[in-house]
Amino acid sequence: MCVGCGAIQPPPPTPDPFEILGLEQRYFMDLAHLDEAWRKISRRVHPDRFAGKPAVMRRMSLQWTAAINSARRNLRDPERRARILATGNPDPPETRQAPTDPEFLETIFDLQMSAEDHPERTREQVSQMRDREQAQLDSIFTAWETGAGDLSEIERILGRLRYLRTALSQTD
Amino acid sequence: MANIGIDLGTTHSLVAMVIGGEARCLLDDEDRALLPSAVRYDPAGNPMCIGYPALDAAGQSDGITFTSAKRFMGRSAAEVADEARLFHYDLVDGKERAVHFQVGERQISPVEISSFILRLLHARAEECLFGRPGGAVITVPAYFDDAQRQATRDAARLAGIEVLRLLNEPTAAALAYGLDKGTAGQKVAVFDLGGGTFDISILELQDGIFQVLSTAGDTHLGGDDFDQALAKVLLNQTGIEDADGTTFRAAVRGAEAAKRALTDAETTTLRATLNGQAVEAEIDRESFNALIRPIVEKTATACRQAMSDAELSPAEIDEVVLVGGSTRVPLVREYVAELFGRAPHCGMDADKVVAIGAALQADILTGNSELADDMLLLDVIPLSLGLEMMGGVVERLIPRCSTIPANATQTFTTHVDNQTSVDLHVLQGERELVADCRSLAQFKLTGLQPQPAGTPRIQVEFTVDADGILKVAATDTHTGTSTTVDVQPSYGLSEDEIEQMLEDAIDNAETDVDERLLIDARVEAEQISLHLAKALDADDALLEETEGPMLRGLLGDLSTAMRGTDRQRISDLSHKIDEVSAPFAQRRIERDLQLALSGRSTESVADDLGIPK
Repeated sequence: MCVGCGAIQPPPPTPDPFEILGLEQRYFMDLAHLDEAWRKISRRVHPDRFAGKPAVMRRMSLQWTAAINSARRNLRDPERRARILATGNPDPPETRQAPTDPEFLETIFDLQMSAEDHPERTREQVSQMRDREQAQLDSIFTAWETGAGDLSEIERILGRLRYLRTALSQTD
Repeated sequence: MANIGIDLGTTHSLVAMVIGGEARCLLDDEDRALLPSAVRYDPAGNPMCIGYPALDAAGQSDGITFTSAKRFMGRSAAEVADEARLFHYDLVDGKERAVHFQVGERQISPVEISSFILRLLHARAEECLFGRPGGAVITVPAYFDDAQRQATRDAARLAGIEVLRLLNEPTAAALAYGLDKGTAGQKVAVFDLGGGTFDISILELQDGIFQVLSTAGDTHLGGDDFDQALAKVLLNQTGIEDADGTTFRAAVRGAEAAKRALTDAETTTLRATLNGQAVEAEIDRESFNALIRPIVEKTATACRQAMSDAELSPAEIDEVVLVGGSTRVPLVREYVAELFGRAPHCGMDADKVVAIGAALQADILTGNSELADDMLLLDVIPLSLGLEMMGGVVERLIPRCSTIPANATQTFTTHVDNQTSVDLHVLQGERELVADCRSLAQFKLTGLQPQPAGTPRIQVEFTVDADGILKVAATDTHTGTSTTVDVQPSYGLSEDEIEQMLEDAIDNAETDVDERLLIDARVEAEQISLHLAKALDADDALLEETEGPMLRGLLGDLSTAMRGTDRQRISDLSHKIDEVSAPFAQRRIERDLQLALSGRSTESVADDLGIPK
């Protein structure tokens, strides 16, 4: 039941952001290409194209346009793109989960200890760690896009990347 | 029917429309395009006059002239207390309510004041057209939040105007400049400093698409502030302390004239009649610049934020365009050149450009625009939207500068055992804490099944429409209990207040309410019939077995009803058709998209669907 309009209407299921924009499921993405696809569909479904049309058409146009706008927003962000591919969730919720991997936490702890005495060197080490994680992420996706390998490690790598990036931005 | 564009400004308002293939501002009897956004009330609170006469009488004590009502739209009394003091307006107390001014026994809302201005502009268009215009595109500052947008829409409703779209002022200006005709992919910054609001928007232009990348601003910054600063200096110099409202307004009028003179002249004489005495003061541009520099410099923060949100440096911006009367002030131009490292572009009349853009968008929305066939505006929301979480922190659902329409869904749960309702508090702003954001609305989702804390799944959906206005729906996914709210702004007018004002307004205008409502119902029914009949012919293949006969039957009923005068029956049937045809409409849009994606030319798809190309 919908109190607002009195009509029975199932909420549109969250569509696959790649599919709704007519794009291949890929991690490596040219943002200009993404925007081009998004603009092309915007021309078709935007509410401006439905002014003066019956309410039902205007409502659908609103839903569709909102859906392609979120799809674009999600796909523009490399981390979200990675999570969509890794989890299969078209609109994964924000996560603030800290990494739990003991080895990683131990390294971080050691770095924190040395940070006070050698801030420059620590910063350098953290950014190297970040680059290594990013390289690992890239190589997993490179393999995946050629049909090999799986994405089960991705969420964990993203968690570590997020942690390292935050640590770096705090030392800025 | 011809649509119109209205620029509802802080100090001046205009109406424009496309006539004979060209967008033009409509003039009053004395050939003036600008209408001062001023409304005068007598001491009992009855409206006396609007526009120039109201402004001319501002310094007289037989009533009160309200100017700059826009600064008070959608705000609470507490938020604008300082500002009201500056303007010497008496506010009605009431922290939790939309702001009202006290005049005699009457409480007057800025929405009412704005509606008088809109009504006069609408009447001007009616005279030009020898008939009622269609709908209106009304411009708002890009940085207006949800409550301010709703207040603007309420004012239009009160004036009996159908709002086709609320359009952001800088975006309207970009459209008017026809900036898309440059190189594809060029980036343009629109610097819009009006009487009381400041916006900066950065756009990317591509094949007729005007895409806003970012927007920032300040809804309480503008040329008004220059006038007031100068007026205070004058009052100090003449030794007037504690000037009353009338004296202060007289000083501001003088200051405004001096400001204008200093656009071209190096020095001028400020003249005003204060407390019955003629006063004069010499002022040169240099000291005026020194006085207003701190105000002008306030624009820098928003400009930097907009560039950072668009991920652009000043060097990557191809053009800077000036909009708004206050950009005539030489210091403002110098400062913009300094900020962006390039001389700004100011080819069009800074006062009219927003109204012209609104008229163009109004024309596009007729669906058969000759001027702007392929144009499309893609705008953004200026401020993030979120919900209050435990501990007074804000969970952001839609980040600022998201392209609109936008939508986001998030699932929440309870934190107390056996909770049967949850309170939802909707907020707008960039800060982490609830106390630092703007409260948009609060509502309750009731009827939850008692369950242990953390078990229920409450899905909250935010939808922002093309006007930048938010709707919130909350559903308990376990029981299916749901509630949809048109966000009733915490500091807006209540539905009852609007209804009452509307009734009063219609009484005043001596219009037959039933007559007007019947016409509206017929127009809507006409629209639905035409469109559906066309769709049924074109897409017979997409109909399910029983749908076709059922819809055709309903169309027949509607056509019979439209010849009668039973308004209720006409709108009931319209709604019924709307409901029954929804799945069919959905299928058509899906098919359309499939075709668009599979690379068929949009023209042939558009032909199939009867959608404007």
